[in-house]
Amino acid sequence: MRMTLKAALMLGTLLSGTSAWAQEITVWDWKSSDPLSVPYYQKAKEVFEAAHPGVTINYVMQPHDQYYTLLGTALSSNAGPDMFLMNGGAQAKARFGALLKLDDKVADIKDDLVGWEEFADANGVYAVPLSIQGFVVYYNKKLYTDAGLDAAKPPKTWAELAKVCDAIKAKGAVPCFAMGNKEGFGIEFWFSSIAATSWTLDEQAEFAAGKLKWSSEPVKAILQSWVDANKNGWFPQGANSTAKFMDEYEGFMRGEAANTIGLISDVAHWKQFDEFLGAENDGVFPMPSPTAAADKKEGEPNFPLAGGIGYGINKASANADLAVAFAKVLASPELEQIFFNDAGAVAANAKVDTAGVKSPAAIEILKIMATSGAPMAHANATAKELEEIHRLSQLLLNGETTVDEAVKRMDEVQAEAHK
Amino acid sequence: MGSPAERRIALLFIAPALLLVAVFRIFPLLWGFVLSFFDSDGMTKLEFVGFGNYVALASDNAFRDSVENTLILIATLPIWVALPMLLAILIHQGVPGGGFFRAVYFFPAVLSSVIIGSIFNMVLRYDGSLNAMLKAVGLVPVDWLGSGSTALYVLFSVQLWSTFGMSLLIFLAGLSTVPTELVEAARLDGAKPMQIWWHVIIPVLRPIIEFVGVVTTIGALTSMFGLIYVLTAGGPGTSTTLPEFLIWLEQGKMNRPGYAAAISMLLFSLMAGLAYVQIRIMSKNANL
Amino acid sequence: MAISGTREKWLMRGLSVPMLLLALTCLYPVFFAINNALKTDKDYILNRFSIVTDPTLQNFVNAWTRSRLSEYFLNSVVVTVGAVALLLAVSSLAGFAFAMLRFPYRKLLFIVILASLMIPVQVVLVPFYRTIVTLGLVNTRIGLIISYTAFFLPFCVYLMTAFYSGLPRELVEAARMDGAKLIQIWWHVMLPLGKPALITLGILNTLYCWNDVLISLLVLQKERTLMVGIAALKGEYTTNIPLLMAGIVIAAAPIVIIYIIFQRRIVNGIATGAVKG
Repeated sequence: MRMTLKAALMLGTLLSGTSAWAQEITVWDWKSSDPLSVPYYQKAKEVFEAAHPGVTINYVMQPHDQYYTLLGTALSSNAGPDMFLMNGGAQAKARFGALLKLDDKVADIKDDLVGWEEFADANGVYAVPLSIQGFVVYYNKKLYTDAGLDAAKPPKTWAELAKVCDAIKAKGAVPCFAMGNKEGFGIEFWFSSIAATSWTLDEQAEFAAGKLKWSSEPVKAILQSWVDANKNGWFPQGANSTAKFMDEYEGFMRGEAANTIGLISDVAHWKQFDEFLGAENDGVFPMPSPTAAADKKEGEPNFPLAGGIGYGINKASANADLAVAFAKVLASPELEQIFFNDAGAVAANAKVDTAGVKSPAAIEILKIMATSGAPMAHANATAKELEEIHRLSQLLLNGETTVDEAVKRMDEVQAEAHK
Repeated sequence: MGSPAERRIALLFIAPALLLVAVFRIFPLLWGFVLSFFDSDGMTKLEFVGFGNYVALASDNAFRDSVENTLILIATLPIWVALPMLLAILIHQGVPGGGFFRAVYFFPAVLSSVIIGSIFNMVLRYDGSLNAMLKAVGLVPVDWLGSGSTALYVLFSVQLWSTFGMSLLIFLAGLSTVPTELVEAARLDGAKPMQIWWHVIIPVLRPIIEFVGVVTTIGALTSMFGLIYVLTAGGPGTSTTLPEFLIWLEQGKMNRPGYAAAISMLLFSLMAGLAYVQIRIMSKNANL
Repeated sequence: MAISGTREKWLMRGLSVPMLLLALTCLYPVFFAINNALKTDKDYILNRFSIVTDPTLQNFVNAWTRSRLSEYFLNSVVVTVGAVALLLAVSSLAGFAFAMLRFPYRKLLFIVILASLMIPVQVVLVPFYRTIVTLGLVNTRIGLIISYTAFFLPFCVYLMTAFYSGLPRELVEAARMDGAKLIQIWWHVMLPLGKPALITLGILNTLYCWNDVLISLLVLQKERTLMVGIAALKGEYTTNIPLLMAGIVIAAAPIVIIYIIFQRRIVNGIATGAVKG
């Protein structure tokens, strides 16, 4: 009975001819209705459909907090979209099993784009990166001046950073850093920012492979700095109940903290902060580290730089080649230019013209991008490790656990996750 | 047992309900039960692990903490049932302003967890309105959502606040079936209000009390996810992590549906056990 | 049905004070939402706690157009009305049978329905979605109506059963002896008597269907429902709170209005007559 029903339905669809001559590429994401991104997505659709008559792009936008649940459900039911957006790093890597390997298909644009590592593993690449993401410290120049600091000379070493925070504390008006660690993002940003300078490239690779233990000196030192910074009063009270996005940043934008570790693309970045603080008042510097690794220079800290978001193609898609073509349109210089201009997303495409940028903070970021990028350590940790460090970081701030206990627990989780 | 005709018609009456429930609820439950014995990533990996997931759960710290939190929740459940019941009885008995209260108490139930989250984040933050009020009267501010000792109880309070209106509504519906003649007769016999409540009103309400008890338990254990996510994200540490939150985490973020299914089975068993206990208690008191 | 006696009167007056405080906290969200919906985003970030100084209706306009509320509104109405009607009909039939009639496996079947209340949504998602896809119900409003009915049915059947079991069985017996068929008894006796519970369920189900986001996201992917449109106003990390509040005010208004109209009916109770004595 049910089989006949199914057959009848299929026949009906065939007869209605919807799939006969008009092909449709279904694209899932969480951005296509965002007003800042709409021009980018609209143009991409127009350009592609003009070049491929008879094919339409169908954007399906899902709210971000349910995005991965819905995606997982659809993929598990063999009813997933043709292509879908992902965050680079752990979330993307967990889904390689459903994605088409792209190496030969993207050979022509491989060199034009950066940020492939977050969407690749030993076997190849699985998604086309659209934007670059990174962490830098933004500071409120006026608050620096009020505390007697030279706003034109941001700290370059840990000792200088400590001096800054001492001055801010002495002034007593605001905390040195804004910090939101409710979801555990606070520790992620802190961790990767410091590791960018204090770990060698080899150590970064070892960490990704699960070989650099949390109890080892380079990793443990970061957790220690987290506890010390809190003890020295660098963070505000109530960090564990403050959401990073957007409470921490809104606090910074209101002038309630001197520094904050922010992003370079899209959100919590120069474009947003310039609007509230004023472009001339919004400063930027890479986060210093207590120690500099052997292959880094003291006084010239690095900052984490990684592929931000990208589109992967569903292995089971009937329109795979068309989907790849569309991904290439999304990553093309003309389209990426729109993305950069409207949303402030630092494009993965190196051919995008950034000369027209006026914001001093943005100019500074683009300058240091060329020389001081480093791997984003936390993006290479497993989901289990991240979950655990989220919780432990909160307990560390509350004083409910010690660094030694925490790294011991992290070692266990790390071993378990890399089995 | 009724007549053959009665039996036939009765089964016909429940057929649509049974069919829908069987297809959309029971079948998935069995499917989830089977899945809980596998290690899966939802896409390519599907490996039979027997009781492996359940064994892993026993040593999973986050899971153990969530069970502990659940036990605390269960201990507070009598309040969740008694409060709306008391309010409903008071309104029913004509407390001044009852009509206004009846209308307004339901409002929080209409709100989605997004707006409740926004409001309470504002109120309960360390630099929020509640602490501001406390400071104004000279008391010490507390990090309500960020300190392990208070977060869980604050979470329960907010959830109770946002759902008591629904239970209130149900109790009011039940109270409307209390026969007025019985109450009048009891009063004419000289019974005091408390006696009327205990001997006349509450027995009539018994199936409703049982209903609210079971449904509130289930609701507390399966629909707090939105609130937890917005208020505390399960933290600090695991102090506000509940099993349902873990299920979401394992299924969506950690991408382990088999593991999530195992937690779901345990949660289901817990609720079934609790419901059984509650129904037994209420049946025993049927002849109040 | 007020309590007489002066001591009780003063007790009631005293109790109404904390009840009033509670009521004020329940009203606060309304004030919060409207207050912030009238601010601009920048205004909100800079002055979160204060009363709006420069009110603007722009957020309501933006919420309406950006979430395509005019289209989605209709979808929500159709789906909600359909699901609630189906739920009330099916659950009152089943509740009648469970509470008043005798048939084999009555207790067992009731337990099955009760058990299905306890299944966490997450575990249901994938098989549910697969079923919907197989039955060809994806992207159809009928599909969403059936889904809602299936999800909320156990709750409704349970309540109707509990409610009906508080009524005397003699009612049904008397009507049978008068020669009425069971279906007529349902229509002429059980439905009217069940009004308080049915109205309650009507309100609650309207609330659940209207506010649902997850099931709607799965089933209706092209034409969305209202709450989904509102949920999409939340960005990936950032939320324009005033815009979101404006959307929520628009979306919640119908429910609030329905509730205010219907909640009085519940307490007015069953008409005197057949039930008592």
